[in-house]
Amino acid sequence: MRGFEPFKVVSVVGAIVVLAACGGGSPSSGSGLGSGALLVGVIAPFTGADAALGPAYYAACLAAAPSINNNGGVGGRQVSCQKFDSRGEPADGVPAANAMIAGNPNLMAVVGCTSDEAAAVAPIIDRAHIPMFCMTGQTEFNKTTLKYFHRLVPADIYDAYAMVGSALYGPGHTPYKRAALVFGNDIGSQAFVAPATNAFTKLGGTIAINQPINLAPGTSYRTEVAAMLATHPDVILTEALGAAGTYLKEVKTQNGGTMIPFIGTSATIDPTWFQQVRDAIGVNDLVKYYAGVDLGYSFSGPAYDEFITNLNAAASTFADAPKYKQRGSTLHLYDGIIMTALAMNATNSKDPTVYNSKIKEIANGTSGATVVSTYKDGVAAIKAGKSIQFVGAGGLNSFDAYNNSVSGYIWVTYDNQGNEVKAGQMTPQQTATIANAGGI
Amino acid sequence: MNLFVAAFGFGLVSMSVIAIAAVGFTMQFGITNMINLAYGEVMISAAYLAYYMNKAGISIWIGMVAGALFGAVFSFLLNRVIYAPFMRKGTANLGMVIVSLAVSLMISNLLLPIVGYYSVSYQEDAGRLIRLGSIVLTRDQIIVIGIAVVLMLGIHALLTYTRLGKAMRATAANPTLARNCGIPTQRVIDSVWLITGALCGLAGVVAALNADSFAIANGSAFLITILAAAVLGGAGQPYGAMIGAVLIGLITELSAAAWSPEYKEVVAFGILVLVMVLRPQGLLAKRGALAAAG
Repeated sequence: MRGFEPFKVVSVVGAIVVLAACGGGSPSSGSGLGSGALLVGVIAPFTGADAALGPAYYAACLAAAPSINNNGGVGGRQVSCQKFDSRGEPADGVPAANAMIAGNPNLMAVVGCTSDEAAAVAPIIDRAHIPMFCMTGQTEFNKTTLKYFHRLVPADIYDAYAMVGSALYGPGHTPYKRAALVFGNDIGSQAFVAPATNAFTKLGGTIAINQPINLAPGTSYRTEVAAMLATHPDVILTEALGAAGTYLKEVKTQNGGTMIPFIGTSATIDPTWFQQVRDAIGVNDLVKYYAGVDLGYSFSGPAYDEFITNLNAAASTFADAPKYKQRGSTLHLYDGIIMTALAMNATNSKDPTVYNSKIKEIANGTSGATVVSTYKDGVAAIKAGKSIQFVGAGGLNSFDAYNNSVSGYIWVTYDNQGNEVKAGQMTPQQTATIANAGGI
Repeated sequence: MNLFVAAFGFGLVSMSVIAIAAVGFTMQFGITNMINLAYGEVMISAAYLAYYMNKAGISIWIGMVAGALFGAVFSFLLNRVIYAPFMRKGTANLGMVIVSLAVSLMISNLLLPIVGYYSVSYQEDAGRLIRLGSIVLTRDQIIVIGIAVVLMLGIHALLTYTRLGKAMRATAANPTLARNCGIPTQRVIDSVWLITGALCGLAGVVAALNADSFAIANGSAFLITILAAAVLGGAGQPYGAMIGAVLIGLITELSAAAWSPEYKEVVAFGILVLVMVLRPQGLLAKRGALAAAG
């Protein structure tokens, strides 16, 4: 056995320390922001029944990256986006999340994680201490203990309440009394059923039929539609992504060419959904019989202007990106990525355990904070020693103690081109009445 | 009761669609000994061809013919270019299944950037509703049933009364003996790929028309139902596939009427598992048109 050689050990350790110091500093400032490229992981369904969801989130990242990169990056570090396909299944989402984390030590944030896979992947991402912005409305996240979880959309119960509000108080029709609930049999879609049933029945309505439908491709839904029509509903409340075109066309066919009014969740404010349903039942019937619910967006202001410029430019990478110009989730995830980058700047840290808590502070603002709407203005304010509040493309955010941000609902329709059109707004009184009736 | 009668009518449509596809699939297997897992992807490719023709203003019925021709040529080339060379090298059956699975993935991934991930629909007026008591069907659905009946009778006639059909049966029973008896087995096998490919392409368009809207993911979904019908009836047996299609088609619709529709496929495939337990060779094994004598 060879003897202990202190000089050699000290030399090696010294060399390692020197090399580490050379490689670890920021090229611009030598700060704690580190060096090299940064990555935003987009974990969502890109294939499978909910394949329409992932592209909306990927588009958000493609729009956010140039907002950051064209303005100095994060301490000089450039941000890029990568898709990780959960296929809309927990069984596929878990290995995708593990691969994302294991293969990318430069992850600054994760966006996506829909209701299909959030319950399985969010704890994995949380254990890796990566801030995430999830597009899930599941009730189990209402009081989550996951510190790195953020939700910029309300829980599904509020979407369900807004649908009930549209049925009972919405514009252009007398209150509907008999509703058919037609939701996909996936986890995300079924989350709407219980709150909608409770609220609608306690406010005097009747659930004519509750029909969970199989979203497997190629299903024809003829018997399902016959069973639904036999209950004579006034209105259909629905979220059956991927199957909506097939189901609704069958409704029109079996109902002698006439549609029944149908109210969709906020996920139906989506260019792919619009195209599918338009092709199936015709644009005139879609415009006439569809009502949807959505969060109130202004689609204007400096943050939205920058968002839309970058989204259009992203068409060179992802041709469909501009289609998501009015998609709420795209706006919110764009904001989430910008806020994360600003939090890294504000804490001068590449360590998520340091900058994670700053995200909430930047969203909610503190007393005397400077309100900013772009990454560029935010970085400038931070460099000037100011605290900031970011009001982004999706508007003002207000995180509660569980990192859930809730804002008000509007009732919407589509125009012939698939643009969202505001039809009315739920009053606080209506929201309170329905929430009390819903009681979940 | 009315709902069950209506569901029976819808089941007739479903079984017609499944039968066209399953008979082609099972003939391919029965005669060429090739379990072609790319069958569903050839179907969806044909469906998209008809979609683009339809989008260009061409009737879906012409698109259906084009889909059949496309399926015939595509399947023929798949065999000649990919499967046959592997078979000549003596690749084992399991190896051939893996090759066809790889082909299936290649087709779907080559199609994806072209057609996109989202659902599309044919622009076709399904025609007026035709009521037969509680059974309510559209004109298009009745045409689909008619196409299936004509094709099934045609397949029966082909296998029973024609020289080609008899040569197919001989090749299926014992290819070496058939060759030694002077049957040009290579030409027979080429004919099988053309005929079953045409059924495959036609089935793709019919299935897409039946589903109202379809997407790239439908290819693999089609295959599962086709496999179920083929296995239920007895793998390699065209008449078995017809019976399998009838059972799967009717059971899925009737169970949707009887219970929650989300379980309709669970019921259908539960019965498949039960049949496999009680009669592993399938319902018609050794009795169909392609079965070996004795």
